[in-house]
Amino acid sequence: MKMEPIIEVKGLTVRRGSAEAISNSTFSIERGDYVGVVGPNGGGKTTLVLAMLGLLPKAEGSIRIMGQEIESFDQWEKVGYVSQFAINFDSQFPLTVKELVGLGRVNRRNMGRFRNKEDWAAVNEALQLMSISNLADKRIGMLSGGQRQRAFVAKSLVSKPELLVLDEPVTGFDPVTQEKFFMQLANLNQKKGITILIVSHDLAAVFCRMSRVLCVNREVHSSAINEGTVPDDVLKRGYGEHFHFAFHQHQCKGVFIDEQL
Amino acid sequence: MSSFDVFDLPSLFQYQFLQMAMVGGILAAVVSAWIGLFLILRKESMLVDGVAHTAFGGVAIGLLIGIDPMLGAMAVSAAAVLGITYMRRKGLAQSDAAIAVMMAMGFSLGMIVISLANGFNVELFSYLFGSILTIDSTDLTVLIVLALVIIGFMVFFYKEMLAITFDEDGARLQGIPVQAMTMAFNLLVAVTIALSIKVIGIILVVALMVLPGLTALQLKRSFKITLIASTVFGVAAAVLGIVISVLFSVSTSGVIVFSAAGVFLFVAAYQRLA
Repeated sequence: MKMEPIIEVKGLTVRRGSAEAISNSTFSIERGDYVGVVGPNGGGKTTLVLAMLGLLPKAEGSIRIMGQEIESFDQWEKVGYVSQFAINFDSQFPLTVKELVGLGRVNRRNMGRFRNKEDWAAVNEALQLMSISNLADKRIGMLSGGQRQRAFVAKSLVSKPELLVLDEPVTGFDPVTQEKFFMQLANLNQKKGITILIVSHDLAAVFCRMSRVLCVNREVHSSAINEGTVPDDVLKRGYGEHFHFAFHQHQCKGVFIDEQL
Repeated sequence: MSSFDVFDLPSLFQYQFLQMAMVGGILAAVVSAWIGLFLILRKESMLVDGVAHTAFGGVAIGLLIGIDPMLGAMAVSAAAVLGITYMRRKGLAQSDAAIAVMMAMGFSLGMIVISLANGFNVELFSYLFGSILTIDSTDLTVLIVLALVIIGFMVFFYKEMLAITFDEDGARLQGIPVQAMTMAFNLLVAVTIALSIKVIGIILVVALMVLPGLTALQLKRSFKITLIASTVFGVAAAVLGIVISVLFSVSTSGVIVFSAAGVFLFVAAYQRLA
């Protein structure tokens, strides 16, 4: 059965200054995919994500989101995004976790409207999904890195998105915190059917957990991941001819902690 | 030397000038505290000082051509805010440099207009240092209308402004018209400055807008509580300033700033010692 693409990119070129950061790339992401975006530093991963979200202008090509051209797409509440700099906010900012997550409900359609019971119910549900209900009244500046990241994911979940985009969400995490975080995302992907796209340098996590990989180094190379197999040709095009990622499926079982959170 | 006895305080409030001063002072304190807190969090506190000094030109023009100086101040402040925004957006200058340019231009405009009017006058002096005790019913009406516009905007667009202040890119992605909202907010900054000038004066308006928010931030609480506390601290400073200045015949704006600064020091010290 052919799956419906949630994002279709054709001949995309994005410039940063006079240089091409993304060059003539074509790929698609299907609904329900769990996608890892990998590639060397400076390869254009964040540029690609920002262009797909309409936050950077494209020089050439087309981007369709949920069947609509990005220029006319107006259902941004269906897209959740956590930038790689999200958790580096001013720690003195007077905001509780509940207030932060509540900001995720603000959009063009409800401007000037007071929050209602439905909004707060969605906030509470998002807090529960990320297992941070106990932190609801805590100031965000007091949270650890892992807690901050979960709070921001909860903020992006509160509008009940169909697509969730996370840019390097686990940088600086210890292995256990990282694994818990990835398991929560897998849960959202499998049980809620949310399409997830994560920029990450952790190739093992990508090949163990995810269904598709986009390898970005100016050009974007896409490949499905089947049963933890490594698409070597795709990685070589991203990281260079001499790159070899030694990976075995049993590593996935060895690394992951108890699934009970 | 006291012009009124402390024990006559209740009877003081029978004077219409003091009633009008209180209403004007409290309204200016409320809107200044709200707008000021957002400015602090946006790291744009100095915008107030720059635009307030620019407003000097507007006051001078107002006095020269015979319109309400508050409206003159508002028009020139709004032009300054738009100019600063334009310079930043077009990359002509960084924020601080753009503010410095506008401040110098506005103040120079005021000096030229004063020289054209053949000298300085007492009324212009009152706008530099504030004169809330001389506020008349026309001033108060203008102040009430402007304050209601600002309060209305902030009540209805509270969550949008908070979203933009915390994360502008995130707010843009959520479909909030960031550019239009920021422009509207900046124009309200100009309006707030214009209406606060009569209360506290061009030189000290930055204190009325920044100190209450800064004090509230010392409490390290939620945004909602910080906003309420900021309002309470601002109103307390305004009321204390008016009452003490009447009792002891000293500068109202000076006492308002010292009251706000005193509350800030007390709260900051308490938070560190408690």
